[in-house]
Amino acid sequence: MATLELININKKFGDFTAVNDINLRVEEGEFVTLLGPSGCGKSTLLNMTAGLEDVTSGEIHINGEKVNHLGPFERDVAMVFQNYALYPHMTVEENIGFSLRLRKRPKNEIQDKVRKVAEMLELDKFMHRLPRELSGGQQQRVAIGRAVIREPSIFLFDEPFSNLDAALRLKTRGEIKELHQRLGVTSIFVTHDQEEALSLSDRIAVLRLGQLEQFGTPEDVYSRPASKYVARFIGTPQMDIFAGSFVNADGLHFQIGEAGIPLPVSFKIPDTAVDVGIRAEFVTLGSKGFDSAIRLVQPVGPFTYVTVDWQGGCVTARVNGVSHMKPKETIKVEIDPEGLLFFDRITEKRMDLQ
Amino acid sequence: MPIIQRFLTRFFIRFGLITFMLLALGPVIWAVVTSLLPLSSLTSHPIDLNPANVTVENYILVFASSRGLVSGLINSLIIATFTSAVGLVIGSMAAYALARLNMPNSSRILMMILATQMFPGIVIVIPLFLVMSRTGLVDTHFGLIIVYLSFILPIVIWILKGFFESVPMELERAAAVDGASPFQTFRYIVLPISLPPLFATGVFAFIEAWNEFFFAIILTRIHVKTASIAIAEFSGQYQTLYGQMLASAVLASIPVVALAIIFRRFILEGFVEGAIKA
Repeated sequence: MATLELININKKFGDFTAVNDINLRVEEGEFVTLLGPSGCGKSTLLNMTAGLEDVTSGEIHINGEKVNHLGPFERDVAMVFQNYALYPHMTVEENIGFSLRLRKRPKNEIQDKVRKVAEMLELDKFMHRLPRELSGGQQQRVAIGRAVIREPSIFLFDEPFSNLDAALRLKTRGEIKELHQRLGVTSIFVTHDQEEALSLSDRIAVLRLGQLEQFGTPEDVYSRPASKYVARFIGTPQMDIFAGSFVNADGLHFQIGEAGIPLPVSFKIPDTAVDVGIRAEFVTLGSKGFDSAIRLVQPVGPFTYVTVDWQGGCVTARVNGVSHMKPKETIKVEIDPEGLLFFDRITEKRMDLQ
Repeated sequence: MPIIQRFLTRFFIRFGLITFMLLALGPVIWAVVTSLLPLSSLTSHPIDLNPANVTVENYILVFASSRGLVSGLINSLIIATFTSAVGLVIGSMAAYALARLNMPNSSRILMMILATQMFPGIVIVIPLFLVMSRTGLVDTHFGLIIVYLSFILPIVIWILKGFFESVPMELERAAAVDGASPFQTFRYIVLPISLPPLFATGVFAFIEAWNEFFFAIILTRIHVKTASIAIAEFSGQYQTLYGQMLASAVLASIPVVALAIIFRRFILEGFVEGAIKA
C-alpha cells in the first residue's frame, strides 16, 4: 500500500500539450479513477505514473519519495493493459509467474503463489492453456493475476474493460471492486465510462484537454459538479442545460423562456449571466406546469427516460417503471427547484447560490 | 441456385489450383524424368520415354566428372548460409529499430532501402565488377556474400518491419512493468514470438542466395563457383549433356526442398502472422 502524489505534472508531445499542470494526491488504499473522453490525457498520465513514459516537467512521488528517475519495476507498480498484453507464447501459469521467474524465486514458491492467485481468480482449471485458447473474460483475469502476484504497492488499470461485452463488463467490474476491498491496494483506474467511474471509485479525477477539471468523491462530481463540462459528462441521461434569467415578480423566479421556476427567499442572485442545469430526476411529468410535446420515450427497465420539447430546447424526465406515454402526446412539465445547478455562462463554473 | 453456385465456386478454385500446380510442378517433373533417362533416349525423335530405359547413370557421371558440382554445392551452402544468417541478424536489428524506435526520417530511410531494389542487376554489374576486382573480392566467398546481402537485406528488413509493427507495444511495456530489462524483454518475449517470421525470412533469403546465377557467373571464376554455375557448365560449346545437367539440378534442389519441408510450419505461420493483428 502506498500514497501517490503527482505534482505539477506536464507532458508535451512536440507542440501538443497532452497533460497540463496536474496536481493529484492519492491516499493509501484509495481507489481513484481518471475519467475523461479519449484524448484528455488520462492514459498518458497513467503511463507516466507507471514509468512507461517520461514527464516533461513535474514530480511523481510514491510514499513520499520522488520516483521520476525509476523504471516501472522499481516503482513497485503493476499494470493491467487495455488489450491485456498477455504473452502469447506462454501458458496461463507462465504468464502469471513471469515476474517471479525474472526475479529468480525458487520454483516451489512460484508454483504456490501462482496457484493461490489462479484459485482466487478462478483460473486454476486453465493453467496450461495459451492466452488465445481463453475467452475474453478469462484473459482479463490472467492480466489481473499477473498484476496481483507481484503484490505491488499500486495497481494501475488502463481501460481494462473496453474489450469485454456489456454483461461481462458488469461482472468484471464487481470482481475488481471486490479485489480492491480484499487487498486494499492503492489503485488508479483509467476509463471514459462515467458509470464505471461512479461505481468503482473512492474519488474521481475528471480530466479535460489535459487539465484536471474536478477531483472529488462520486457524490461530489454527480451532485456538485465543478463545471458544466463535469455536469454533462457525469450522469445518465446527460444533464440538460438552459439559458435563463432571474425575475423578481410575485416572488423570485428563474425564468427559462415562458417558464418561471420559483426560488427560495434565501437565494443569492449573482451579478453575472447564468445557465441552469437540470437532471432528469428533478423533472416531473404530470398535471402541473407547462404544456409540452413528448419527443422521445426510452424505457431502460426500472425507469423510462421521456424527452419533451420544452422552452425552445429539450428536457428529459426520469419516470419510474415502464411508461406508456407516446411521442407527440402533450404533457405538463414541472421542475423541482431543489435540483437546479447554476453555472456562470462565461467561465462555465458552477455557482453555489442556494 | 446456391448448389450450382457452390459447384461453380469449387470448380473454379480447383481448376485454378490444378493449373497452377501443373505450371509450377511441370518443369520439376520434367527435370526429374530427364535426369533419369540416357542421352540417347532424349535425343531421339520423338523422345523415348520407355520406362525400361530408366537409369541412374547421369547421377553417377555427375559425381565422377570433374565439373565440380560437389564443390559448387559446398560453395553455395557456405554462401547461402552466411547470407541468410548475417542477413537475419542485421536485418532484424534494422527492422526492429525502424518499427519501434522513434527515429527521425525513418520513412525516408525505408524508401531509400526500397529504392536500391529498383535498379536491374545488369545496370550495376559492370561497375560492381570493377569495384570488386580492385578490392580483390572477385572470386571470393566474402565478395559474393556482400553482394547478395545488398539485395536480400532490403527484403528482409521490409518483411520483418511489418511483423514487428504488428506486435502490440503493450507486450513490451507489460514485460517492463513485470521487471524485465530490455535484453530480457527481447530474449523472453520478442524473440520467441518472432521465431516463425524469422525462420520464414531466413529460408527465403537462403533460397534467394542459393538460386542466384547472374552475379555469381560474373563475379566468380574458379574457386567460388556456385552450384547454379556448375549446373550451367554442362551446356558446352559442342554439346549439352541434358541428362547430367538436370541430374545436377535435381541434386541442387534437394537442400532447398528439405529446408522448406523442415520449416514448413514456421514458414506458413510466418506469412500468416503479419496478416492478423493480435
